[in-house]
Amino acid sequence: MEDLAQAAIDAALDVGATFADVRIENTVTTIIEITDGVSKDSLASRLKGAGIRAFIDGAWAFAQTTDLTTGGMRETGESVGKLALATKTKVAEKFEMEGPVFKDRVRFKVKVPFADVTFEEKMAYVKMINDQARSFDKRIVNTRTVYGDLWTERYTANSFGTSVWMENSLPRVISVSTAKDGSSRQRSFKSFGIRGGFEVYSLERPQNLGEESARNAIDLLSSVAAKGGTYDVIVDPVLNGVMVHEAFGHACEADNWPAHTTVLEDKLGKMVGPGHLNLSDDPTMEGQRGTYEFDWEGTKTKKRLLVKGGILRELLHTLETASRLGMEPNGAGRAQSFMFEPLPRMSNTMMEPGDWDVDELMQDMGTGMLLCNFNYGYTEPSKGQFMFQASHGYLIENGEIGQMVRDVSLAGQILDILPKIDAVAKDFEMEAGTCRKDGQMVPDNSGGPHARIRQVPVGGM
Amino acid sequence: MESQLLDLAESAIKKAEALGAEQAEVYIGSSKSFSIDVQNNAIKSARNKRDAGCGIRSVIGKGIGFAYVTTLQDEDISEAAEKSVRLARSSIEDPDFESLPRSGGRYPTVSGLFDEKINQLSSEEAASLILRAVDATKNELSEMKMAIEARLIASSDFRAIVNSLGIAGSARGTTLWLYTYPTVKEGTDQTSSYEFQLTRNLSEIDPEWIGYTSAHNAIGNLGGKIIKSDDLPVILAPLAVGTIIGQGFAGAVNAEEVQYGRSYIADAIGEEIASDKLEIVDDGLLPGGLGTRAFDCEGVSSQRTEVLVEGVLKGLLHNSYTANKEHVENTANASRPSYAGTPSISSSNFVISEGKGSLDDLVEETERGIICRNTGDRPNMTTGDLSAMVMEGLYFENGEIQHSLKNTLIGINMRDVLLRATRIGGDTRSIGSVIAPSIVIESAKITSG
Repeated sequence: MEDLAQAAIDAALDVGATFADVRIENTVTTIIEITDGVSKDSLASRLKGAGIRAFIDGAWAFAQTTDLTTGGMRETGESVGKLALATKTKVAEKFEMEGPVFKDRVRFKVKVPFADVTFEEKMAYVKMINDQARSFDKRIVNTRTVYGDLWTERYTANSFGTSVWMENSLPRVISVSTAKDGSSRQRSFKSFGIRGGFEVYSLERPQNLGEESARNAIDLLSSVAAKGGTYDVIVDPVLNGVMVHEAFGHACEADNWPAHTTVLEDKLGKMVGPGHLNLSDDPTMEGQRGTYEFDWEGTKTKKRLLVKGGILRELLHTLETASRLGMEPNGAGRAQSFMFEPLPRMSNTMMEPGDWDVDELMQDMGTGMLLCNFNYGYTEPSKGQFMFQASHGYLIENGEIGQMVRDVSLAGQILDILPKIDAVAKDFEMEAGTCRKDGQMVPDNSGGPHARIRQVPVGGM
Repeated sequence: MESQLLDLAESAIKKAEALGAEQAEVYIGSSKSFSIDVQNNAIKSARNKRDAGCGIRSVIGKGIGFAYVTTLQDEDISEAAEKSVRLARSSIEDPDFESLPRSGGRYPTVSGLFDEKINQLSSEEAASLILRAVDATKNELSEMKMAIEARLIASSDFRAIVNSLGIAGSARGTTLWLYTYPTVKEGTDQTSSYEFQLTRNLSEIDPEWIGYTSAHNAIGNLGGKIIKSDDLPVILAPLAVGTIIGQGFAGAVNAEEVQYGRSYIADAIGEEIASDKLEIVDDGLLPGGLGTRAFDCEGVSSQRTEVLVEGVLKGLLHNSYTANKEHVENTANASRPSYAGTPSISSSNFVISEGKGSLDDLVEETERGIICRNTGDRPNMTTGDLSAMVMEGLYFENGEIQHSLKNTLIGINMRDVLLRATRIGGDTRSIGSVIAPSIVIESAKITSG
């Protein structure tokens, strides 16, 4: 791989580029879906190719190739170098690229590699989870179980001299149950994903995920649609993670600064939330879905303290954003595959625990809503606006959990929401997810403790 | 090149059959694209992408396996064939699976899918188009503090589908996508807007319109306010219709979702589920449409399918599996993202019939309510409950726009969206493969705060 990457880098530099980098990837995945007891999709794939970037005076060019021969790499390197040169004539903002050099080789050891497990064994696990959901209650009318495993090796090299090889292994399982009672139909989505090999599926939660989603779907049959209005709410750890991700994390991605597309542009070093609030993004956590040792540009990762003591302290950087803003690169450059360019992205994103007891928090609130789990969320940092949806929740009256509600949406402004967080509990939990930005999907993870937010608009029917 | 790829597909079928597949299907996709990005009002990067790969579906008994690879190299295709056969063997047989589709004779002729001018677009021409859109945006924003993002992507692709039951089709297509996304600032107020065109024909692209419209709407979005929460009429502008109806309703008439009992319109064929003003067809043959094709992703001849006629649900969207399962006509709605996925179901061109009048006319007639220009939200497909953030919207009173909206959510069930769509505008536009005018929803729960 080293020689192939060097051939492309040399070719790009030879035609005039001042910086070039290469990612060579080899990824193997299996996806197995069983619906109502029979195979729905059984899919195996191999992604194999290289992405090459060239840079000069503020102009970037990118190309990809699956021709992994010295000749193929040289040809693509040369053409991407020429494209950068052609682009340079139209660029308004000139800057130089800088960055540290890393050389490493990181094996990721797992107990049971996915490649050592037969399709039959994988199928048997998926069937077990699917049967679990189907047999949970006769009101369960549809069950989908989706198994996904991914093993990847990635080599990154650049013209500064960085040369990093690493591998990763990510198991995931999803269980979706639909329940029907009379005319009421409800659906529950549950998933599990960390970092590891096939042994992960033997853990307690992935062994019981079918039951977990089926139980939740049955519970939802007695839920009601929430009544829209402004409420005090407590978000559970999973939804808190989604809130930190959507309402704040995206706005901290440093590509927003040169582009002038975040409402946080003037807030670096300033108070953006209460003094007790700490938000971070940490790709160095052990064994999590968003964990990686080196990013897709070959930069060593470190924990990012986005908000410390209520002050916006750190951003998520690629080599470009760190160079342009004169800050330290922190390894946040991620790409979906060799077919894409790295962008500043989140990894394991969280609100750090506080000192409240969850029960105390509920008692102290009196009346409001407890919002749990998530369906989805999205944000537009340039408008400062975000929304996310809890899959379900409960009305809180006199500090006690009451009626179950479903599909509760919460909308708000990035700059308004953090100051409204007035109490943070001491529990902590994270949940696997997948984040989309600019058409690129990457595996991530987010979470936190229970937290209380005062007076937010909650959508209802 | 094209006959070479068809030969490659034929040989991949033989590989899978030799390994034990009773039926096999091969999808080969090959595409190239050129794109340019603008950041902070100036060109920043360019991209040249070539992608070619192969997906193989193997059938043994009633077991199905699928594998794909991102190259067209012989050893990789052999590995994919071998894995698809192994997966077919180890999968749990599906009693409802009958067969891959058989050849139904000649494909219909469709027009306007390939434009040589897009295929041959030079980097200079591409740069000139995107800079014209950026200049038009700047012009409209004149002295304001602004940061314009924009992107142009010109693509051309080739796809071939071959199966062991006589299906053999290949087709070429082009698309051009151009958008501008200006962020504007006024004092401490900051907002943005987005406008785009996505077309198969270069002559339809109007960079000045894209730039002007995005800038004009961004200015209109400044000064967002909340309103008193209430039940109010909502005018969904075409972009919002594209999301709420184009995804939220098209996804509900997906036969697979209905068969599994996961759709909010389950068991409603022949029933009046919508206002009699609402008429929708799925038209795979629309000249030049983004979703137009002579055959679907399983190689079945495209057609025009009535979905809603005077508010009555006429039919669902099928692929070969769901049609065989119910012994009904296959509507040729099999879709897949590329060679890298198994066939599912989606609409081709989802066409909503237009009524009369501009957006201004609808505002004047409706008197008081909100316009939702854009939202990113889709309903819960099982319950139909929709809670949508107004990403760009305006409040109007006495038939006149008052101000833009912030922190505002629309709450309504999709069944009520359909029943309360009592006034359809005449301002039809294409939003990708959805063709839609503005639609007035008589009443929805508006929460703002």
